[in-house]
Amino acid sequence: MFIRFILSNRPPPNHNLLFDDNMMQKTPLILDIKGNSLDDGPGIRTVVFFKGCPLSCVWCHNPESKKAGAEISFDKTECVGCDTCIQSCPENALDRKNPFFIDRAQCTLCGVCVENCPSGALSMVGKTMRIEDIVAMAAKDKPFYKNSNGGVTLSGGEPTLFMDFLSDLLKHLKDEGIHTLVETCGLFEFQQFEKKILPYIDTIYYDIKIHDPDAHKQFCGVKNDLILKNFIKLNAISAENGLELLARTPLIPNITATDKNLNQIAGFLKTLKIRQARLLAYNPLWHEKNEKIGTQNSFQNNKDMTTWIPKEKLETYRSIFTEKGIHTG
Amino acid sequence: MFFFQPTTARIKFSPTNILLNTLLRVFAANFNFRPGLKKYLKSDQGWIDFTIGFRTDSGSVKAAVLFKNGKVSVSKIIPEKVDTMLTFHSDGAVLKLLGATPTEQIFMVLKGQLSPKGNQSYLNLFFFFLSLLLNSKQKKLMEKERKISKKELLKESPTAKTELSDDLIKRFGVRMKADTIDKNVKYLKDPFLSDYGLDNFPRVKKYLDIHFEVKPEVCPELPKLVTDWHKANGYETDKNGKPWNPLLRKAHAYKYLMENRKPLIRGNDLIAGTTTTKDIGVVVYPEGHGTMIWGELLTVPHRTLNPYDVSEETLNILHHEIFPFWSKRNFKEWVREEYDSPLCQQIDERFAIYFIWKSVTISHTIPDFPKLLSMGTSGIISEINDQMKSFAKNSNEKNTLEAMILCLEGLTAYSKNLAKTAASAAASENNPQRKAELEKLAKTCDQVVEKPARTLDEAVNAMWISWVGLHMESTNAGLSLGRLDQWLQPYFLADMEKLNSGPEQAKYIKHAVELIGCFYMRCTDHLPLTPDIANWVFGGSSSDQAITLGGVTPEGDDGVCDMTYIFLKVTEMLSIRDPNVNARFNPDKNSDTYLKRLCEVNLITSATPSMHNDNEVMASLEEFNYEIEDLRNWSATGCVEPTLSGKHIGHTNFQMMNMVAALEMALNNGKHPLLNWKLGPNTGEIGTGKINNDNIADKPFKTFDDFFNAFITQFKFIIDQSIEYNEMLAQAHQVIRPTPLLSSVIGDCISKGKDVTIGGAKYNSSGAALIGLADITDSLLVIKKLVYDDKKVSFADLKKAVDENFENDPALHAMVTKKVPLFGSGSDEAVAMADRIAKFAHDYYGSKKHYRGGKYTVGFWSMSNHVAYGTLTGALPSGRLSGKAFTPGLTPEPNASKNLLDNIRDVARLDTKNINNNIAFNVKVIPTPEDTREKTVNDMFSYVKTYFDLGGMQMQMNVVTSETLKDAMAHPENYRNLLVRISGYNAYFVTLNKDMQLELIERAEYGM
Ligand code: SF4
Ligand code: SF4
Repeated sequence: MFIRFILSNRPPPNHNLLFDDNMMQKTPLILDIKGNSLDDGPGIRTVVFFKGCPLSCVWCHNPESKKAGAEISFDKTECVGCDTCIQSCPENALDRKNPFFIDRAQCTLCGVCVENCPSGALSMVGKTMRIEDIVAMAAKDKPFYKNSNGGVTLSGGEPTLFMDFLSDLLKHLKDEGIHTLVETCGLFEFQQFEKKILPYIDTIYYDIKIHDPDAHKQFCGVKNDLILKNFIKLNAISAENGLELLARTPLIPNITATDKNLNQIAGFLKTLKIRQARLLAYNPLWHEKNEKIGTQNSFQNNKDMTTWIPKEKLETYRSIFTEKGIHTG
Repeated sequence: MFFFQPTTARIKFSPTNILLNTLLRVFAANFNFRPGLKKYLKSDQGWIDFTIGFRTDSGSVKAAVLFKNGKVSVSKIIPEKVDTMLTFHSDGAVLKLLGATPTEQIFMVLKGQLSPKGNQSYLNLFFFFLSLLLNSKQKKLMEKERKISKKELLKESPTAKTELSDDLIKRFGVRMKADTIDKNVKYLKDPFLSDYGLDNFPRVKKYLDIHFEVKPEVCPELPKLVTDWHKANGYETDKNGKPWNPLLRKAHAYKYLMENRKPLIRGNDLIAGTTTTKDIGVVVYPEGHGTMIWGELLTVPHRTLNPYDVSEETLNILHHEIFPFWSKRNFKEWVREEYDSPLCQQIDERFAIYFIWKSVTISHTIPDFPKLLSMGTSGIISEINDQMKSFAKNSNEKNTLEAMILCLEGLTAYSKNLAKTAASAAASENNPQRKAELEKLAKTCDQVVEKPARTLDEAVNAMWISWVGLHMESTNAGLSLGRLDQWLQPYFLADMEKLNSGPEQAKYIKHAVELIGCFYMRCTDHLPLTPDIANWVFGGSSSDQAITLGGVTPEGDDGVCDMTYIFLKVTEMLSIRDPNVNARFNPDKNSDTYLKRLCEVNLITSATPSMHNDNEVMASLEEFNYEIEDLRNWSATGCVEPTLSGKHIGHTNFQMMNMVAALEMALNNGKHPLLNWKLGPNTGEIGTGKINNDNIADKPFKTFDDFFNAFITQFKFIIDQSIEYNEMLAQAHQVIRPTPLLSSVIGDCISKGKDVTIGGAKYNSSGAALIGLADITDSLLVIKKLVYDDKKVSFADLKKAVDENFENDPALHAMVTKKVPLFGSGSDEAVAMADRIAKFAHDYYGSKKHYRGGKYTVGFWSMSNHVAYGTLTGALPSGRLSGKAFTPGLTPEPNASKNLLDNIRDVARLDTKNINNNIAFNVKVIPTPEDTREKTVNDMFSYVKTYFDLGGMQMQMNVVTSETLKDAMAHPENYRNLLVRISGYNAYFVTLNKDMQLELIERAEYGM
């Protein structure tokens, strides 16, 4: 009975979801909007995740946020094996013999299977959203922001990839009186940023991952000169007008979490007279995310990359910063 | 007496019939010929005569055991009159019963394998006789069960994760300081009293150890004295054969009890008096549910949950002297005789649909302590004497007032006896400090309760002594203490004013903390009598003596004061389940500092206090037009329910109603599936299109509203039945247990000359606890959306899947659980549905006539019945599987949303006008270990404060991870005081039954 009613309800292909993978597109896909976040800035926050990132860090925790275009995701733990999707796919792209279940070369991202899947095991990653709708979603949490000094965090992916959209969104949020925070990798065109983004943000969380330009290129796909330059400029502005700027370094075993790199970053921050930074503990629980969207990563079997960093080690990393007068609490 | 209608049709008897008859004959022979057993057939009033019948639904088995004049005989023919008839669902069930442990016996009843009808005391007596023969086997079985379950748990979690248990202990070591001082806090420099921890109070700490280590023991003192008095002075009639006025009878018996009970002072205590003669005593109220324990007297010390010791002496007293006297003289049996086993009572005794608390007690109110403290019993007696003049001789009013005086005299006599105990203990005491304390106690008990209290010590002692007194009058379930911070603050201030130096004041504050600590520990000196069934239905609950803190004064001023913080300090340090601490937060008057402190205490204790939005609770009571000063003086009662302190008999937990039963009955045309009992009206069969009732036009359930109406029809039916039973039991209380002492401290009873049981109080009502709101809402949403709106599945297919527990249709199960926006997901439709159900319940209960005047009220909290009722309920359209717990109170389903804020918003959005008996909204939050205390408290504060800003009524947080709970399940020895909030009350996790433990573990968990 199940198949019957589902097939009769097949929706027309959703062309909105068909995006080319152009990084500079005007309207981003939104990966997720997560309410009640307590770890992405002060207070209770709503985090808007943009899809698409100009870097390609090998350890990326959110592999689904790399590509700017839509993707289809399959979570085998949710699947009840009803095969409705297989029978409804117009492209015959679904096959249990395929280790990823979906043949992404065949799939046109038409969304029929997603619509028909009763369990939510199949889902479309990334959707277009109107600014008003995002703002409305965030605004309903305003009472929570008020009591916790929270607000909205724009994260990604990389939100500055979509300067105009981001600017518009920030403006609307500020009109609602909402505290705004942008998390960025720092790879953006400064003038644009200064003009379109800066007036509407209260806080910037700025990732400084690797100091050495070659290593940065090796692990993140691009050189970091622009990133560091932008940071220096923002820091000057921050010193002048009180803009909150926080440098953050993710601790990735053997890549960013090396004595050399951390010493370099701490030294860099010290020269800028920065007293406060943050180290982000490595979270090893991200590997299955790759599988869902049909990608692989080379660290699946690397022991350091699949376990938490021990507490003592964390302390050593912290002390590198503390010695230079930088708090990382 | 239960009348059995013998059938004349010829029925073939089964082999089981022969076997049963043989076994019963063996049973009879044992009792007839073994003197060691035969002696149990006799009470001090003579042989105990009664008859039990046995039959199966099909008639394949028939037998009766007759106890008469010291002889036990077995008959193949069931006599026309039997006291208790046991009807079995199958032949197998017959034999199972005879070898069952008490717990198994209960589950046979719960699961419909056995339905007993008739006198329950005799049924329990029969079970007692069985256990005389079988108890060593029963004990072995229980031991074996325990071993197996322990082994299973250890297999899953062989080594204890001590870092988890240590983390809970470490919470006590971190203490925040207050950053502001509330305006009515006069003396505390740091209201959070962060300098103090339990180690500063060795006296109290010792009591805490006793609380956890001493096994409770059944105490026969109360029933023995009361029964003795009645044997000497008559029950139905007095010595001269004249019918007793129930009030006077009760009052004389009470006075005798209070004059003759042992006046005990626990070693080293600052407070005199005990509820029983045991360290931790279990009180038996023979006119209430006392005889329910009869069948378990031999096994109760060995049961897994909540074991009590029963000494041989106690057993003999209860069996020979007490229970036989009360076999028919209790609430349930009074109704059974008077109304001839009404249907409403039969439903109650099957447990799956509703439970009426009046079968145990009324209780659930707040006495007027301020009056008692400021006037003393002597002052109240003179008020009564004055009032007496306005009533005619021999009038009901006059008798009532006389009864009050007798009770107050009894209470006074007890405190005078305590004074003597203290004085003589002082005389023989060598330790000078203790000697001084005892001398002071002697003076205190001489002053109070007779005369007004003048100091905090006197006030606290007066309160405790009268608390004992009230518990001697009626069952200890949900009688609550009220606004102790408000009421004790004047005494605290008076004492402090006398002290000049800072160090003296600081010392006194420490004394006040210790005194309240002793008071809390006094409150743990007794437990309610719980037959094993109660461990399944009300697991882990003590008597739920609620204390209420904060809020506003009757005049509307900020009520948070020094004593508020002193009580919070004690709550934090002791972290015990009872007293059940409830905090009122008035958003207009109370400070954020106070709310943060509530959150901190909640974090440290992991479960208490429960927090109420003062404005919303008061708004929910608007319809009653209570006087504003009285309204502002509300206190939580039992679990969470509002009572206007000292003036209101709100019997706020008159029933635990399984609303989901109505849904199941609507899905099955009036039949309850598990009970296999067609008891409700015909509302139509799903899917067949057949109509069984002329009143239903056309096909049933053409629209969603048609089905909704079927649900409402079934719901009305069970509401009507439950209220009918409540009103019958209410009459039983008027005849069997009026409460003149309580009446003397409840507003207006004296001026009206009326006992509280017949409506003497200024305000009257009875409050229901309606269980399963989220489960019903979600189920109805699924039906509406998938069957009617989107037409994705036919009602018949959905019903079939429900009947089959979704086993054959995983895709449909996935769809109902994943594709319908549930209550708690932020869906407007879901909130509207919940409101629709709540509004119906509120309006319908509110429309029913209430015997004492006032109204029936409704609340959405569940004690632990969401687990018990869940066990007795099949799968639901919401996708909840058969036997699974419902959600606690009105908490949304765990998978309603990943975002806690959606839950918070939806619950806050509910229309509180429909909820005049409060709610229980459970939230499980877990702190990030690296976070500072301030950060965690601020996060909790943000949730609660915003929830209140949005119009939320009540919230309670469990601050413990599922991982910790799992560890505690396997390694209970590391978690003796792990406190959890069930729904409205607190319990120690390790004392809960397994289903309840799992329910807590499966609750949604939100990181902070
Ligand atoms: S989204 Fe891809 S896999 Fe799914 S139905 Fe369309 S083509 Fe097939
Ligand atoms: S992915 Fe969805 S539709 Fe496909 S088999 Fe699994 S549950 Fe069924």
